[in-house]
Amino acid sequence: MRPEFDEISGKQTTGHEWNGIRELNTPMPKAFRLWLWASIAVAAFMWVLYPSFPLVTGALQGVLGYSARQNVLAAVADGIATREASFAALNEVPLDEFARDPSFRANHEEAFSVLFRDNCSACHGRDAGGQVGFPDLTDGHWLWSGTAEEIEYTLQVGINADHDETRFAQMPAFGRDEWLSQSELSDVAEYVLSLSGQDHDADAAQIGAVVFEDNCASCHNDAGVGGYENGAPSLADDAWIYGSSRAAIMYTLEHGRAGGMPAWSDRLTETEIKQITLYLLWQGQTDG
Amino acid sequence: MDHAKLERHGVAFAFAILGVASLGGLFEIAPLFTIENTVERVQGMRPYTPLELAGRDIYVREGCYACHSQMIRTLRSDVERYGHFSLAAESMYDHPHQWGSKRTGPDLARIGGKYSDDWHVAHLSAPRDTVPGSVMPGYGFLAEARLNTETLPQSLAALARIGVPYTSEQITGAARDAVRQADAEAEYEDDLWDSYGHTVQIRDFDGDPDRLTEMDALVAYLQMLGSLVDLENLRLEDLNQ
Repeated sequence: MRPEFDEISGKQTTGHEWNGIRELNTPMPKAFRLWLWASIAVAAFMWVLYPSFPLVTGALQGVLGYSARQNVLAAVADGIATREASFAALNEVPLDEFARDPSFRANHEEAFSVLFRDNCSACHGRDAGGQVGFPDLTDGHWLWSGTAEEIEYTLQVGINADHDETRFAQMPAFGRDEWLSQSELSDVAEYVLSLSGQDHDADAAQIGAVVFEDNCASCHNDAGVGGYENGAPSLADDAWIYGSSRAAIMYTLEHGRAGGMPAWSDRLTETEIKQITLYLLWQGQTDG
Repeated sequence: MDHAKLERHGVAFAFAILGVASLGGLFEIAPLFTIENTVERVQGMRPYTPLELAGRDIYVREGCYACHSQMIRTLRSDVERYGHFSLAAESMYDHPHQWGSKRTGPDLARIGGKYSDDWHVAHLSAPRDTVPGSVMPGYGFLAEARLNTETLPQSLAALARIGVPYTSEQITGAARDAVRQADAEAEYEDDLWDSYGHTVQIRDFDGDPDRLTEMDALVAYLQMLGSLVDLENLRLEDLNQ
């Protein structure tokens, strides 16, 4: 069937016919077609301006010289420079002075907490209160001392980390490596329980005290008060990283411990590390 | 009208469809011919050690990619949170890559070294114990499952066939190397470092030095992620080639 003129609509038909039903040949609205061609034209324009097609030995770079990588590096560097500039004082004045300054704290604690939450809270908890295996940073008990300089240094080099200068602390696996017999282990566990004033077997603790003197005191010091110089925790207080129960202490004696903290000097800037240090000093003030 | 003519010639129309459809294919395939130019020549990228590869296979098996991407985009928010943007070179030995398109959890492209092994084990075993509110399932069973090292030589061989430069020594010694990487007591560091380079981390990863578990492998893989390429000495000019 040939296309024919439809009088009612005033348009041609397509010439198709299905059981007497014919179809109007309605072209796509002009606006649609214009839009299509316009978007193709814009695309062609963009090909010229921005990196587009791959070639045999590279890709079309575009006349604008646009590089997403260059832009993001510049934006990040810019952000760092701005922050460094606004906190330049942190590198000049001892942190302790800022730690004691309530107005500085009020102005910046919230901002510094973001750094803590991004990097530290996975282990130490959102409130810096620690959790089993990861120390509480608010209770005033420190492994490597809680002065601003020492906290900052720990943040930079980490503990048992892959940094060349990292702090190193390891408790041997006295049980697994058979340094002590099982009866010595349980005696020394009773002695450790006695140090922090927990329920213990006094006779076993007495024997354990000798074992402690010979094997443990070199790091944990006499009476188990610990020492900042080698990161050995105090056993005579109520702050426990791995738990204070008899079972937890026996597990530690059996398998040893070597808690690790990553070194942050490659991931964070010096200023950021100082900000986190300040944040930690403030958390200690709240609770301790 | 041309269109009407085309529609009335079945064979010509079929060829026209074929032509247009293959354009789509061409645009997808063409960049692969220039892959040499896309993958940056950077220092430090190496094939994964057998233990890392085993960890990667567990990562894929457990579907970690469904919630975690491994691609830091060239956006300031991404770079400030996760670190240097990802390079094509960093997934050059990934078959398949783990870029991902969904972040229910955080990006893992540079998770290596951000947390301690202990944290990874604690978190994988019971995610909500370390991260309140996390929706990640627990993977404590990995610490119980002995790592199957028997198939590692075949895994390396398969990757070697599609272009990962494993040597035949590395392939035949794959099972042995996997055991050695998780055994800090043994004195094989130099062998592993000679074979795979000094970025290989050698230690017991899961806190249980007596057994080689799937947890060892997965943590070894995670601790390696994003740490291979020497980003410090990376210059932008080297990336545009």
